Amino acid sequence: MATKQVRYEALVKALHGDLFRYAYWLCHDKHVAEDLVQETFLRAWRALDSLKDEKAAKSWLITILRRENARRFERKRFEMSEYEEAAITDTKSTSSEQEIENYWLREKIAQMPEEYREPLVLQIIGGFSGEEIAKQLDLNKNTVMTRLFRARNQLKEALDNTPKVRGQYNG
Amino acid sequence: MDDLQFRRRIYADPNTRDEDMLAAIHSDPAKQNFTQELESLDNKLFQALNIEVPSGLSDKLILRQTMASHQQQKRKSRVRLALAASIAFAMGLTINFMQFSSAYSNLGDYAIAHIVHEEGHFSNTSPVNVSLDSLNEKMATFQGSFTADIGKLMFADYCRFDGMKSLHLVFQGATSMVTVFVVPHNEDLEFTANFTNDKLIGKSQHFKHSNIIVVADKNESLVQWQTAINKNISWST
Repeated sequence: MATKQVRYEALVKALHGDLFRYAYWLCHDKHVAEDLVQETFLRAWRALDSLKDEKAAKSWLITILRRENARRFERKRFEMSEYEEAAITDTKSTSSEQEIENYWLREKIAQMPEEYREPLVLQIIGGFSGEEIAKQLDLNKNTVMTRLFRARNQLKEALDNTPKVRGQYNG
Repeated sequence: MDDLQFRRRIYADPNTRDEDMLAAIHSDPAKQNFTQELESLDNKLFQALNIEVPSGLSDKLILRQTMASHQQQKRKSRVRLALAASIAFAMGLTINFMQFSSAYSNLGDYAIAHIVHEEGHFSNTSPVNVSLDSLNEKMATFQGSFTADIGKLMFADYCRFDGMKSLHLVFQGATSMVTVFVVPHNEDLEFTANFTNDKLIGKSQHFKHSNIIVVADKNESLVQWQTAINKNISWST
């Protein structure tokens, strides 16, 4: 019992951050993301004995979280439109250039189609390889690589085309 | 590696570094530049994606789990208690049933079983060594006495007749022993006036305090025995 508790706490400490970020980029809402993470870890606790390989913990948790997220849609349709959801409320001060750029990039990422965003988040936040992402999302690896290519391509183009916008903020 | 393929691969994963990619990067300063550009894009993306995690989320997660497993344990221990209680209850019932219920439902069956069980203990040729006095001494327990011998008594002693203290008498019969039981009234055993199996027959008689059961083989005239008993027995109040 004690060892299970210890394992669970270690798992929470090590992975709750990444899981929360992943959840956030799935649903664009901090509160929903928090609920998702809580639900996920609660399920993880119940099924902890089935987790044999600690290295697989992250992808295991992400699988649970994706399922939870899907269940959320089964329960009720999300009534907000994609764009309103995408609006990110960043209450932090936007004084530094980095912050402004982050804010701007977040909007761009949020506006990206789900199918591009998800592999990108898994790659950058999750640190998963192309194969691992393919397995997670139940896609073939070439598809994943193409989506990653398009995702970065879109973001890079958007970023390259808007130095003036940023200049405005810099004043 | 042509330019298009290089771009596709570096876009898909800026950190990809197999031999082909390394060779391509080193051979062409433009590709090197491009790689750096994408790495810095990835840096920015990481910054952007790396949103702040609510403080105390991990504590919240652990707290919720602790509460949940506490609830679960409480539920479990309640279930366990209920389980233990019902097992104890069932065991109690079983023991009660085994100890205090009769395997035989009537006097006759029990009497025959008793005799079959003791087959070999007595024989019809055993010495006749019980006097009327010592028989009556034992009969006193059952508030009865015999005024005269009713036959040649070879053995008289108390025995357990389905858990009840009773008197077991063995008389010499015409061809084999005749067994007489003096058994206190018992609600558990149904009174059977006549009973028989393949070898033995028996008759029971209802008296004031006790039943008297006579069992013998089929050659014996039980009516005669019963008459003798009726004539000679007397009961105190």
